[in-house]
Amino acid sequence: MSAVAAQTSSRSNGPQRVLDVVGLDVRIGRHHLLHDVSFSIDRGERVGLIGESGSGKSLTSLALLGLLPDDADVSGSIRLAGVGCDLVGARERDLAGVRGRDVAMVFQEPMTALNPTMRVGDQVAETITVHAGRRGRDGHDGRGGREGRGGTDRRRARRRAVELLDQVGLPDPGDAAKAYPHQLSGGQRQRVVLAIALANDPALLVCDEPTTALDVTVQARVLDLIVRGVEARDAALLFITHDLSVVATVCERVLVMYGGRVVEAGTVDEVFRRPRHRYTQGLLAASDLDDAPPGGRLPTIRGTVPAAGAFPEGCVFRSRCDHATEVCATTPAWTGPDPGEGFACHHPAHEERAS
Amino acid sequence: MTTPAITVRDLRRDYRRPRTSLRRPGPVVEALKGVSFDVERGERFGIVGESGCGKSTLMRLLAGLDQPTSGEVQVEGQTVSGLPERRLGFLRSSLQLVFQDPMGSLDPRMRVRDIIAEPLVAQGLPGRQGRVSELLEAVGLSREAGERFPHQFSGGQRQRISIARALAPKPSILLADEPVSALDVSVRAQVLNLITDLVGDLGLTLVFVSHDLSVVRHVCERVAVMCAGEIVETGPTQQIFDDPQHPYTQRLLRAAPSMRRALAGAGAADLLGDPS
Repeated sequence: MSAVAAQTSSRSNGPQRVLDVVGLDVRIGRHHLLHDVSFSIDRGERVGLIGESGSGKSLTSLALLGLLPDDADVSGSIRLAGVGCDLVGARERDLAGVRGRDVAMVFQEPMTALNPTMRVGDQVAETITVHAGRRGRDGHDGRGGREGRGGTDRRRARRRAVELLDQVGLPDPGDAAKAYPHQLSGGQRQRVVLAIALANDPALLVCDEPTTALDVTVQARVLDLIVRGVEARDAALLFITHDLSVVATVCERVLVMYGGRVVEAGTVDEVFRRPRHRYTQGLLAASDLDDAPPGGRLPTIRGTVPAAGAFPEGCVFRSRCDHATEVCATTPAWTGPDPGEGFACHHPAHEERAS
Repeated sequence: MTTPAITVRDLRRDYRRPRTSLRRPGPVVEALKGVSFDVERGERFGIVGESGCGKSTLMRLLAGLDQPTSGEVQVEGQTVSGLPERRLGFLRSSLQLVFQDPMGSLDPRMRVRDIIAEPLVAQGLPGRQGRVSELLEAVGLSREAGERFPHQFSGGQRQRISIARALAPKPSILLADEPVSALDVSVRAQVLNLITDLVGDLGLTLVFVSHDLSVVRHVCERVAVMCAGEIVETGPTQQIFDDPQHPYTQRLLRAAPSMRRALAGAGAADLLGDPS
């Protein structure tokens, strides 16, 4: 399965490509927050983006939705299948048409993602009518659809909303659609957010820590729904989390971020079994509680993630790395066939396997 | 036989929800429905369960921060439940807490040295300055850290400060309520190491509450699984994890994503459903 995925992903610019990020660079104020981030995702592919807080994962996801703050200085390019323009530097009007239709997002905190004063069914339906009105997908032109035929459209959208709520496993979807967010549990709210995100069958679904605030058994249900939701639509998934075992369960490929750079990328199997970058290696060792002797010491990465803008020059990880030498003061080059597979480290782990 | 560090007998706690009708009183929520267990001295005891299972209510009762509806809590042979705050002095020096959110449990306007010394001040214990330096060193912070304020520290460092404060009055029991849940993976390992080291070196009894099964498995020798206000299963950690008996424990263990199972080919659907 993952070998097939790796094969398709290495075929560059194939017809399957959904997202192509090239050399994405973001500066806000005097802080250089994202450095030369490049990756791509194909149709039906599930890619994990991992890293600790402050590594730039969420900033990357916001960039994909064109939600970076106005004062952000962005360069590079973000191309999305089915969208004519580059998302970097696109006008807000165009981005508003893309968001929720071609790319949709599930945030960590469903209570802040939902409108507390609106019934959840209406919130799902709104996502459908807004885009139906913006660009008539069924032939009729946008404006007319919204004003003139609003009644039937809205009724159809409501019916569709109930279907979607049923798909994400809300019990009694008809009644649930009439509920307000505060009347639902955390897991149910997250399902509503997922229904909204999937409403327009987006080509790319971005999930930013969607289950971090949920209980384990609820997390299991939501993860299953996310995977089934994207599989049914053959959509691409970018799954952002700090939980390595969740990524291993949900995704086929993985990108490891630290200090605003992608430091390692590859298939889940390869990266998690044979990490090359010292940061990935440290992260895996520190999170592996199954193999550590009970009550014994866990391997750690020394120090903490520096504040934004306080990462060292050269290799961003060298201030916490036990293998760092003088050469690490220069930025390590990317070793690997393409941005989707490889690492950037002067002293990679498993040197013997490199040849 | 020595008295256990903590004895809990048939502990119940009912809460009354706010009324929704003028004619009827509000509905009663049974947060704890008769919980009993012992924690031996020097034991590392884990409590796992999902939100709403009653683990925080149990913690509050153990710490004497709330009164049970019925049942009894004894700490080192002395009854805690039913006593007014002014008679809980013994409990405040023998049992201390570490909370999940260090920023919410550290006063932002106090210097770290005053935060750590506060339990000593409250209990009128002498030798504050020396003790504070000693504690800062024990949790791996520099002496200068004492002069700074909580916001100047990272999440992991703040949790170290909470631990130093908890250890200040030389307690024999440490209650840790989700102490690493808000931390990053690499920092989580540091703080877990610190807790296990201190518990071992100081011979503390540890009660460790978490929703994260792998953390409890790593830290605790014995574990109780809570569901809907009851302990559904309890036993040695290894036994519970290797051979869970209660259906809820089985479901909980299956639902937790594991790197090993994932690399062996398990997907999201395998977190649900029957083990077959």
